[in-house]
Amino acid sequence: MTAFRTLARTLAITSLGLATFMGTATAAQAETLRVGMSGGYYPFTFVDHDKLQGFEVDVMNAIGKQTGDDIKFVTASFSGLAGMLDSGRIDTIANQITITPERQAKYAFSEPYVYDGAQVVVRKGNDSIHGVEDLKGKTVIMNLGSNYETLLKELPYADEINLKTYESNIEQDVALGRADAFVMDRTSASQVIKDKPLPLQLAGQPFSKIENALPFRNDDAGRAQRDRVNKALDTLRDNGELKAISEKWFNSDITEAPQSEGSEKTGSDS
Amino acid sequence: MQALNLDYMVGLVPVLLGYLPLTLGMAAAGMVCALILSCLLAVIRVSRLPGLNQAAKLFISFFRGTPLLVQLFLFYYGLPQFLSFLVSINGVTATIMGLTLHFSAYMAESIRAAITGIDRSQTEAAQSIGMTQFQTMRRIILPQATRVATPTLMNYFIDMIKSTSLAFTLGVTELMGATQKEAASSFLYFEAFLVVALIYWVIVEALSWCQKRLEKRLNRAYQR
Repeated sequence: MTAFRTLARTLAITSLGLATFMGTATAAQAETLRVGMSGGYYPFTFVDHDKLQGFEVDVMNAIGKQTGDDIKFVTASFSGLAGMLDSGRIDTIANQITITPERQAKYAFSEPYVYDGAQVVVRKGNDSIHGVEDLKGKTVIMNLGSNYETLLKELPYADEINLKTYESNIEQDVALGRADAFVMDRTSASQVIKDKPLPLQLAGQPFSKIENALPFRNDDAGRAQRDRVNKALDTLRDNGELKAISEKWFNSDITEAPQSEGSEKTGSDS
Repeated sequence: MQALNLDYMVGLVPVLLGYLPLTLGMAAAGMVCALILSCLLAVIRVSRLPGLNQAAKLFISFFRGTPLLVQLFLFYYGLPQFLSFLVSINGVTATIMGLTLHFSAYMAESIRAAITGIDRSQTEAAQSIGMTQFQTMRRIILPQATRVATPTLMNYFIDMIKSTSLAFTLGVTELMGATQKEAASSFLYFEAFLVVALIYWVIVEALSWCQKRLEKRLNRAYQR
């Protein structure tokens, strides 16, 4: 019965492999901050030829240098990140998470480190949409689980917008003309339009100011991590490192709170 | 009309191939575990063991009746809320377990069909020369059923390889997850997804070749 023997051997090898996988999972180090991100949100977190990089990566590494923690990045599709945080598989999410009342009730947020604005983006040449007020009767798409869904649902004419949420690739569907517009943060949208080959354009001004921060689990351990990160953020703000990282990726400082209500400063989020 | 960015595609191949061992490893581990579990289930169903038979029916009904993605989310994100030790299970292990449970439900049915397809007279003949039920199963029925079930089981294995693409939702960057991230940063969707499609296709073609050889071998006794 050579077939059975081969099977047995394969099984032995497999269970060995399984044991190794599980071994790495349980060997938790005390000083490791596990940071979840999608790896698919240019230029905040993205992967180019297997190299994870972006604004969020630089910020988290700078924070790690201040706190002395090992930063371990975990990438997962955006819709899986909250589940990973809740179930204790990661300690925070660095993916331009906007502070909202609902999220604030559930998580312990760090202080904001990005100030941005929600932005409507349309296909290049589409001059019928000049901003959020023109979205009536249009098909508008956004990332699943993002805060923009809530923002649009709060509009008085929300039920007249054909709102759809996607797992990924919203930019492509608007570029293809399958949807009229997508909504995401101003900073990221501008950068995509500038750097990437998709025929897209901004439609009007950002329509909502947003503040993005790092969510931690709202328990003793989570709040302790949050406090350590806050201290590190203060230092990075004071020594200009945060600003330098922002200018590296955006040629502007998006980490500073707008001075006044009428300020030009815009923001973004996911 | 843009031209295809061939340089980008060629550059992407070695990057994506790096994820092949993980994808194939998860599928292979899932397949081995699913084979064992599904044989058990099939034998329970065929021999109608009281109690166990009902349990097997319920198991098959649930895992065939719900999508794999739902099962993965239930298991990975849902259950740890109640059973905290499940948090220590990582995405790779959870994917393998999900594939095992999901596909063994299907495979059990196809193995059951293969077993019941063997003529009853063979069981009677085996028992007339004094074989026990277990011996009959192991030495007469299962070897023949293996031959009948091989093509459908291979189909499930192929399906399983492709189903590993769901692991990215559990934070496991496998072949498809890696492709999604590359596409999301280059915005060269067609190029990236074409490369990954070709890679999957080549794997499955290679498997089909193995299947042909395996079937030939299993059919040796039947050639005239």
